[in-house]
Formats: sequence, structure tokens, C-alpha cells
Amino acid sequence: ARLWRMLSFVVALPGVAVCMLNCYLKSKEEHERPEFVPYSHLRIRTKPFPWGDGNKTLFHNPHVNALPTGYED
Amino acid sequence: MTHQAHSYHMVDPSPWPIFGAAAALLTTSGLTLWFHHNITFLLALGLLSMILVMIQWWRDIIRESTFQGHHTPTVQKGLRYGMILFITSEAFFFLGFFWAFFHSSLAPTPELGGQWPPTGINPLNPMEVPLLNTAILLASGVTITWAHHSITENNRKHATHALFLTILLGFYFTALQASEYHETSFSIADSVYGSTFFVATGFHGLHVIIGSSFLSVCFLRLINFHFTSNHHFGFEAAAWYWHFVDVIWLFLYMSIYWWGS
Repeated sequence: ARLWRMLSFVVALPGVAVCMLNCYLKSKEEHERPEFVPYSHLRIRTKPFPWGDGNKTLFHNPHVNALPTGYED
Repeated sequence: MTHQAHSYHMVDPSPWPIFGAAAALLTTSGLTLWFHHNITFLLALGLLSMILVMIQWWRDIIRESTFQGHHTPTVQKGLRYGMILFITSEAFFFLGFFWAFFHSSLAPTPELGGQWPPTGINPLNPMEVPLLNTAILLASGVTITWAHHSITENNRKHATHALFLTILLGFYFTALQASEYHETSFSIADSVYGSTFFVATGFHGLHVIIGSSFLSVCFLRLINFHFTSNHHFGFEAAAWYWHFVDVIWLFLYMSIYWWGS
């Protein structure tokens, strides 16, 4: 168990910490929202979703997810 | 007084198998009713009965094994076979979704713009949160191994700490994935890219939640002295399942997140 305890605290958890730092630094940059192009292969609505107004996906985020007609905001 | 002349466990009659089947029927037909007629009642009933059956069935198994001693080495061997076969079946389940992914991504159709990722799709950067998630699951594999060794060496304090860390890492993964789901610019409705991405990662996430629940139950049993240093199959089964979830993630990461971007 000594070996795995050592690996946990010296390799595994610091590895996670480094990746956390990497993500935090990368998230600092501003990213622009891509322009809306009404491609027919995207935002498919063959059948309404069984929740809400049937037009929004389960994890809909109005800032980054466009509806078939374009961004809401 | 009679006693059994064999090392197997002849289980007492139990209602849980038939109730479980009924719960499955309620859940599946409830899902259909919800999709087609916007009625949620049957689905709710199905999910509730499913959870109740699971709690009571597994509670009974713990009673039969830990408290009544029916799990001889022979019985445990059977359980090992069972868990291995179950995990194998889950591997085939995921294989199907990987097949679907490669079917669509190796030869992208003109409708997608003849490229992968399809035109208009901005995939997630594999070197950001997905990499962190990989580190988290790999780390949890190390901590769960530490926990297992601690159990076999009778180190209660370390076993508790290690298993707790493992569960914490599992929750962290789930939280990060949920946040990723909210932040991606593409959704499940965005061509076959969205379908393959969210179905594969979605089922994986469900398995992480199941694995985390299994580990949490093990944690409660660990602090209640259910495990001995040489008999703790419930924990081993949870550990196998957890490593399986980790391996599936590695394949997801390499094919969908990395190669697929």
C-alpha cells in the first residue's frame, strides 16, 4: 500500500493539479462566438424535444448554442 | 437438524427479481409514453420502483453474505464470474457506440461538408478540460488501488482516506463533464457529430455515476466493518467496474476527443 499511497500523492494528484492549472490559464482567454450560418445538417429538429417548448436541447446554453433560427440573444 | 452438504448458496425465495422485471417494464413503457404523449407519471413510477428494487435486493445480498455468512469461496467464485461477464457485456455495449462513431467519422458524407469534424462544428480542445478529466480518472485508479492494498493490509485509516479520495475524484469528473455539456457550442442535435459525441460520452457519464454510487456504498460498508482483509468482494467488484469506466474514458478521449477533432 505504501507504493500506491506514494504514487497517489506524488504523481496522480499533482498530475491533476497541473491539468487544473492548465485549464484555468486557458480559460482566461476571451473566445468569440462563431457567426451563425443556418447549415441544414446542424440544429436538426426532426421531432420536438419532450420538454419545455420542444426546441431547446437538454443542456441548452443561450450564449453559445444557436436555435435553428439563430442565436437567441 | 439438516444442513447443506455443499458449498453453494440456495437463496431463499425473493420478490426482487419479478419486481425488478416489472420496474423495467414500467420504465420502458413510461419512456415511450413520455416521448410520444408527454405523460411523465409512468416513467416516474418506473424509475422509483427500479431504485427501490435495487436498494432492497442488494441490501438482502449484504445480509446474506456479511451477516449470515452464506458467501463461501465457491459462492464468491461464482460472483467473480458474474461480475466479469457483466463488465464484458458493458464493453460490447460501448463497442456499438464506438462503431457508430467510426462509421460516420472515417468517411464523412457530403452533407457534413466531406470533413470531420463536420462544417460548422467547433470541437472541444482535447488539451483543456478533457485532459483534466483524463488525469482525474487515472488518478482515481491509483487511489482505488491504494485503497485495495490498505484493505488487504488491515490499514483502516488509509483505506478510508483512499476510498474517499477516489469518490471525490469521481464526483469532480462528473461535475466537470456537466459543466462541459453546458458550455459546448454544439448540441446533440448538431449532425451525427453531436449524436455520437453525446450518446457515447453521455452513457459513459451515466456509468461514472453508477460507479461512484457503487463506491459510495462500499465506503459506507467499509466504515461499518463489513470487509475483512481477505473477504471484500463487494469492494473488488466496485474497483473492477471503476477501472472499466476509466478504460472506456481513455478510448473515448483518444478517439472522439483527440482523433475526432
